[in-house]
Amino acid sequence: MKTLATDFLLKESPNAIAIVDTKLNFINYSNQWQSDFTPNKTDIIGKHLFDVISEMPILFNNAIKVGLTDKENINAGQKFILPSGKVQWLKWKISPIRNDINILEGLVIYLEDITADKRELELLQTAETVAKIGGWEVDLQKNSLYWTKTTKDIHEVPEDFIPDLAQGINFYKEGIHREKITELVSAAIEEGKPWDTELIIITAKGNEIWVRAKGEVEAVNDKPIRIIGTFQDIDERKKIELAHEEISERLKLATQTSQIGIWEYDLIANELIWDNAMYNIFGVDENQFAGVFEAWESTIHPDDKEKALKATNDAIIGVKDFDEEFRIKLQNGEVKYIKGLSKTIRDLKGKPIKMTGANWDITMLRSTELKLERSTESFTETFDNAAIGMALISPELKWLKVNKSLLTSLGYSEKELLGMRTTDITHPDDLESSTKTVFNGVKDTYQLQKRYFHKNGHIVYAIIGVTPVKDLDGNPSHAIAQFLDITDRIEGEKRLETLVEVTKSQNDSLLNFAHIVSHNLRSHSTNMTMLAKFLSQEEDEKELKNINRMITDAAESLSETIAHLNDVVQVKTGALKNLQSISVLNTIEQIKKSIGGLLEKQEAIIKIDIKNSHFVNAVPAYLESIFLNILTNALKYSSPDRTPLIEIKSQLKKETVLISFKDNGQGIDLKRHGDKIFGMYKTFHKHKDAKGIGLFITKNQIEAMGGSIKIESVVDQGTTIFIELNKI
Amino acid sequence: MKKVQVCCIIDDDPIFIYGTKRIIKEVDFAENIIVYNNGQEAVDGLKEIINEGGFLPEVIFLDLNMPIMNGWEFLEEYKNCQYDISKKTTIYIISSSVDPRDLERVKHYNEVDMYILKPITPDDLGKILSSTTV
Repeated sequence: MKTLATDFLLKESPNAIAIVDTKLNFINYSNQWQSDFTPNKTDIIGKHLFDVISEMPILFNNAIKVGLTDKENINAGQKFILPSGKVQWLKWKISPIRNDINILEGLVIYLEDITADKRELELLQTAETVAKIGGWEVDLQKNSLYWTKTTKDIHEVPEDFIPDLAQGINFYKEGIHREKITELVSAAIEEGKPWDTELIIITAKGNEIWVRAKGEVEAVNDKPIRIIGTFQDIDERKKIELAHEEISERLKLATQTSQIGIWEYDLIANELIWDNAMYNIFGVDENQFAGVFEAWESTIHPDDKEKALKATNDAIIGVKDFDEEFRIKLQNGEVKYIKGLSKTIRDLKGKPIKMTGANWDITMLRSTELKLERSTESFTETFDNAAIGMALISPELKWLKVNKSLLTSLGYSEKELLGMRTTDITHPDDLESSTKTVFNGVKDTYQLQKRYFHKNGHIVYAIIGVTPVKDLDGNPSHAIAQFLDITDRIEGEKRLETLVEVTKSQNDSLLNFAHIVSHNLRSHSTNMTMLAKFLSQEEDEKELKNINRMITDAAESLSETIAHLNDVVQVKTGALKNLQSISVLNTIEQIKKSIGGLLEKQEAIIKIDIKNSHFVNAVPAYLESIFLNILTNALKYSSPDRTPLIEIKSQLKKETVLISFKDNGQGIDLKRHGDKIFGMYKTFHKHKDAKGIGLFITKNQIEAMGGSIKIESVVDQGTTIFIELNKI
Repeated sequence: MKKVQVCCIIDDDPIFIYGTKRIIKEVDFAENIIVYNNGQEAVDGLKEIINEGGFLPEVIFLDLNMPIMNGWEFLEEYKNCQYDISKKTTIYIISSSVDPRDLERVKHYNEVDMYILKPITPDDLGKILSSTTV
C-alpha cells in the first residue's frame, strides 16, 4: 500500500485527502489537505485527526464514527454553522480501508471547504431575487432554454416549468413587443449582436408587465453556441417612468398653450436656460440670448429693475421665494407686464445652487384691470354724487352700498341702513311688489312706485328703477337700484286733493244751503201770502183774529229762520280769525252753570272727567255754543224712563283733544238717519223744540275750527258724541 | 163735478194745513179731510184704516220736509206697503222746494202724480178733481 507511487499521487492530489488509522491518527495526507486544514503546516503524521482539525461540525464527527464501522459516508456539500458562529460549507467522502485479509485498517477522508463558492452563489441568488433579475441561457446546439428561478417567477410559471425557445418568445406581448424580441434574438444569432431592451410580456397568469431583457452571444470559432442573458422585472419603474413622461408631456403642452415660460438658472455657473415660451414672452431671439443672468436683467423695465433685483436677491438668500409682477421693455419698445414665480434649490449645506421658475405675460389682465378700475371709479363717483338715491342690493335684499341722497331721503345713517334689508323699511302694502324682484327671475329691469318708512316714521314715496347685475353664470349677483324720492310731490298732490275735496264739499254745502234758504224763506212767505189773501176775504170776526195770529206766527218763524241762517252764514264766513287756546274744563263748567235750572228740573246728573291741562284751539263763542247744543240735546231727548246721565270725558291725541259726551237718552236710529243727522232742518224726535238746526250749526262750527264730530247711538240706550279739536 | 170722498194732508206746518183745508172747503174738493203731521203718523194712520176696513184717501197731499219721517221716507214706506192694492189713491207732492234735485227725484216714483209748489191754489184742486173723475 505504501508505495512511492501512491504516496506521490496522494501528496500531489489537487484535493484535500487524508488517511487515518482506526485510532484516527494520520497515516498520510495530501499537500492540499495540509494547506486547507492544517493551520501551521507542520507534519501531522501520527497526530490525531481531531487534534489537527479542531472545529468541525458534529455531523463530520458522526461520519467518521460511521466510517469506523466500515461504512462509507458521502456528503455532497452542506452548509454548517459552527459553534463559533462561523459559516462553513463542507463536502466530504469518508471511505474505510481494508487490508488484504479484509480487516479495517483505517479511513480515507476526502474533505473540501466549498464555503467561498457557495457564498458567492448564495449572494447571487439573493441578489437575483431582490433585484428581480433572473437569468437565462439558450443552448444553440441543443436548442434548449434554461430559466433561473427568478426568471420563472417573473413569468409566473411554477418552478418545475421547463421552457423552450418558442415558448420563451411567445411570452412577449403580441405585436411590437414580440416582433422586437424576435428581431433581436435573430440578430444576435446571426450577427452576434448583444441586446438590451425593455418590452412587455404577458405572464402565465395573464398579467402584463414591463421587463428588461439583456442578451449576449457566446461564440466558439465565430459560431454562436449559446446566448446568456438577464431578465428583469421593471414594471414598477417603467410605469412610473411612463406616467412621468406623460405628465411631463402634458406640462409641456400646458406651458406651451398657456404661454408660460420656464427657466432654470445655475447660480454657480451663471447659466440661464430658457424654454421657447420664454423667448416668445421676452421677445428675444434665441440665438442672440447670452444665457446669463445679466441677459435677463437687461430686459427689465428701468422703473421695475430695482424691485425685481431685490426680489431675486431675497429668493437667493432665502428671505422669500420670488413672486413678483414686473414690467419688461422689449427691443421694439413694447412694454409688457410679467408675472414671475421661482424656487431656489439648495445643496445639503443650504447653499443656493440653482433657481427654477416660470414667467407669464399678464399684460392683458393688467390692462383689463386698469380699465375696470377706471370704470369702477367713474361708477363710484356717479353713485356717490348722484342727486337721486342709489343703492346696490344683494339677492337677500340687503343694502350693500348706499349713497348720500338715499340716506337723506330715508333718514338713516349708512351704518344703520347697511344692517337692514330693504323689506325692513318697506310699507307693508308694497311688500308683495318688492319681493317679486330681479332675483327670482320674475322681472328683468323694472320700475315701480313704492313706499318706505323714513327713520322718523313718515312715509317716503319713491320711484324705484332696478337693474340686475349678472355674474358669470348669468345669475343675478346683485342689483343696482335708483331711488327717486317723490314724497314732496305726492304730499303736494295729497294736499291738493284734500283742498279740492274741501272745496267740493264746501261748494256742495253752499248749494244745499242756498236751497235750504230758498225753501225756508219760501215756505214762510207763501204762508204769509196765503194768509193775507184769506184775510182780505174773511168777514168772520173770530176767524179774522185766528188768521191774524197765524200771520204773526209766520212772521216770527220767518225772523227766526233768518236768524238761523245768519248764524250759519256767520259760521261759514267767521272762519279761523278768532282761534285761541281755551280750557275745555272751564268751558264745560261754565255751560253747566248756565243750564243749572234745566238740569235741576230734569234731575239730570253730569259727570265730568276732564283734565284741566287740556286746552283746545277754538273760537270761544263756538265752543260754548257747541257744548251748550250737545248738552241741551242730551237733556231734550232724554229717556222718560231714566234719570238723565251725561258723562263728559277728554283724551289727548297726537294733535288733537278728543271730547266725548255720553248720554243715556232715547238714542237715534243711525241706520235710518245717519246720513242726515247733521243736516239742516232735520229732526228725528217728536219734540216741540226740535228745529233741525242745532247739530247742523254745531257741525259747521267744529269744522270751521278744523275739528271733526262723530256720533254713536243705540235706540233707547243712549248717544255718544265725539268731538275732536286741535291742540295748540 | 164729483168730489173726492177722503183727502189726506201730510204736513207739519199748521198754517199750511189751515190754508189747504180752507181752500178744499172753498172749492168743495173733498167730503172728508185726514191730517197727519209727519210721515210716520201717516203710515200709522193709514195702516189703522186698512185694519179697520175704512175708506182709504183717494188723494194724498204730501209735504217733503217734515220731522221724524219726511216725504221721501214716506214714499219708500208707501211703495213697500200693501196700500198699493188700492190703485185709486193718487199722491201729490206739495212743497216749497224749488230745488231741481227734488223735482228730478219725484220722477222716480210712479205713485206720485204731480209736484205742486206751495201754496196750493183753488185752480190746482180743480185740475186734480177733473183728472181724478175722468
